[in-house]
Amino acid sequence: MKNLRWIIPALLLVFGAPGCVLVSGQFLIDFDLDTFDASTDTAVTRADVDLTTEDDYNDHKEDLKGLADVAVLGKITNSGSADIGVEVWMTGGPTTYTTPTEVTTNGTKLWGPFNLGAGVTKQVAWDESAGLFSEVGKALLINEIKGDGQFTIYAIGNAGTYQFNVDNGVLALAIEFGK
Amino acid sequence: MKRALVFAILALGIGAGAARAPGAQIGIGPYAGYNAALIQQDTGNGAVFGVRAPIALAPMITIEPYYASSSLGDVDEEFGGLSYTRSGFDMKTFGATAIIGSILTEGFKFYPFAGIGSYQMERTGSEDIKETGFNFGFGFSVPAGAKIHVQARGGMDMIVTEDTSRKFANGTIGITYTLMSGE
Repeated sequence: MKNLRWIIPALLLVFGAPGCVLVSGQFLIDFDLDTFDASTDTAVTRADVDLTTEDDYNDHKEDLKGLADVAVLGKITNSGSADIGVEVWMTGGPTTYTTPTEVTTNGTKLWGPFNLGAGVTKQVAWDESAGLFSEVGKALLINEIKGDGQFTIYAIGNAGTYQFNVDNGVLALAIEFGK
Repeated sequence: MKRALVFAILALGIGAGAARAPGAQIGIGPYAGYNAALIQQDTGNGAVFGVRAPIALAPMITIEPYYASSSLGDVDEEFGGLSYTRSGFDMKTFGATAIIGSILTEGFKFYPFAGIGSYQMERTGSEDIKETGFNFGFGFSVPAGAKIHVQARGGMDMIVTEDTSRKFANGTIGITYTLMSGE
């Protein structure tokens, strides 16, 4: 037994070290973006995200450390006549931009382009989506998640004119927390 | 990369030192088992395979360089009525574990262990995680022949990722062949 004396302080050191205690982990939170249409014929489509409406977010808000994984999901149909790349932009605060130019001038590109041929419908794959996030956008997203959890996202096409539809859009976040 | 190099040099140094030490015991052997992701909703569980080389430098302590590879399972979720799959991580680890006592001597042994290693986790669409981690747990060594021992272990790996960590509970079973008995 004498030989095992070292293990108690060693385990205390490991469990007690900041940020690596047992009570930490990666939680999956999804925020519904529902079904929406986006077109250059109408005002830009936006979603006002409020993560404080999600119980998991509220339960762990005080212990949030970062973002482990993120994806924009849904089934997207390019109903226009030209190939497009679908993009998601965001602003840190509540905004109500109406044109793609306003969005790209004042916002931060979060995700995309998700390329779709004319008339094509495609469900966004989780792996592919996770790889389409820009570093700058992800940094802003992390900042907002650690902040008030409220931000605005916009869906636009990267072509001069576009028309697409998103079915069952979801923003899936794997958030890291630690005591 | 620097960290990986440091661990590699450390492992080689231990091995070279042990080979020259009078009475040193050296073994080698494969092992396999299962990694269970703890409190991680973005990756699944998976099998783990590896090789380790216990080096008993003195009767009371064994240092064991190791290498392990684990393919973690996918996560399947349904959002808005649509099914999605997120690929699990591929995890590669090497480092060294300290064991109290020698696991290469005769007789049944129960032992605690603790170690440190370099962990690399990668998957499609995610930045690679390359961090230092720790492992600890308990094991049994059971003789199964003149130079062979069966090793059964249960433990935990904890990879520190900035302000938080990724943790895995694991159980493994392996064999160790004694290359140098120290006699």
